[in-house]
Amino acid sequence: MSKIKYFIQQSWLLIVASFCFGLLIAVTNAALSPRIQQNEKDKLNNLMRSLISDANDFQIAIEQVEIPAEKGRVQTTDVYKALGDDGRCAGFAFIAVGSGFADKIKLVIAVDGKCEKFFGFKVLSSNETPGFGSKIADDDPESDEDFADQFKAAPAQALELIKTSKIEIIKKIDSQIVAISGATVSSDAVVKIFNTYTDKIREQLRQKGLIGSGKQQ
Amino acid sequence: MANSSESRTELYGQTFIAGLWRENPVFRLLLGMCPTLAVTAAVKPALTMGCCVIFVLLCSNIIVSLMRNLLKPHLRILMFALTISTFVTIADLFLKAFQPRMSEVLGPYVPLIIVNCIIICRAEACASKNTLFVSIIDAIGMGLGFTLTLCVLAGIRELLSTGKIFELQIMPDAFVPWAAMSMPVGAFITLGLLLALVNALTKRQKT
Repeated sequence: MSKIKYFIQQSWLLIVASFCFGLLIAVTNAALSPRIQQNEKDKLNNLMRSLISDANDFQIAIEQVEIPAEKGRVQTTDVYKALGDDGRCAGFAFIAVGSGFADKIKLVIAVDGKCEKFFGFKVLSSNETPGFGSKIADDDPESDEDFADQFKAAPAQALELIKTSKIEIIKKIDSQIVAISGATVSSDAVVKIFNTYTDKIREQLRQKGLIGSGKQQ
Repeated sequence: MANSSESRTELYGQTFIAGLWRENPVFRLLLGMCPTLAVTAAVKPALTMGCCVIFVLLCSNIIVSLMRNLLKPHLRILMFALTISTFVTIADLFLKAFQPRMSEVLGPYVPLIIVNCIIICRAEACASKNTLFVSIIDAIGMGLGFTLTLCVLAGIRELLSTGKIFELQIMPDAFVPWAAMSMPVGAFITLGLLLALVNALTKRQKT
């Protein structure tokens, strides 16, 4: 009995404080979580909308598509269907994750309604080296040499990373992607993410009857 | 009576000034080096981090000062950690809700305020031994000192790495951005030079 009394004497403040602080965090979390979730949703929608210009609304087409990741792990992603003004499918978008130079790179990738060509990608989060790897996110409309521009209208098939400084090759739209000078690892990471996800997503879209035999659903 | 009131005002003034210069957490105490080096690539994240630290420091100092007479010596660090982590979590949630862009830029450095030495140092050295009012002044002084230091460091780095501050072009068009300044190497060099400058100024003050 005296042991219990000693324990309570010593730790009552800690127990009371833990309870009060826990309650404070729970209340704050309950009050702010709808706004936080909305922020995340808005960000994703804005990125998808900037990739698929015809899109009016987005809805989840396939949930939890399993993608093989490094070291035998499996990661999942949702595939979003972009709906145009007349309700027809304007394309598909999904979040893709892979290892970059410094940290994980999280991209939003968009493909057309037949999954035949890419609309491009946007960086959802990355921690690549500023001034070098960070150029994967550069999207300057005045620049001819943007890395991200090479993915726009590129065929939705296995992409290949090459190294050259010839501007005509950079501007050419095909499955060859020219690496960013000084950021080969980051460039390669983006191409690998595309190659890892594209086939799996196409396969799933075909299985669900969302694409295939030239007809759109 | 007048004497005691004057000495109290002087104490409050000195406590406030201490954080800004004499005991500046970064330049004089060399505390909180992790965020100082990590989030000072631009002024906006540095300012946001500074505001978060002021909030956490203020709240933790208030709570620690209020319960200073109830603290058991062997449990005090645990209580400090509990208090600090609560307010850091709240700051992180507010940032995610109202400043999502900044929350992304600061990444793990907001939750890492929990282990920021400045806050635990002020809880131990000031709030657990002083009255509520002194603790509040100390928190504001130290927090502002930290924020100003971060902003100075970030201002220099952002200016040299982009030619801009707060998206405003400051440097002439001919200026070639110095990308290294936005990388860790730039943080170390700038901090080292500023520390040398502060040391030189302090030495001159003493002599």
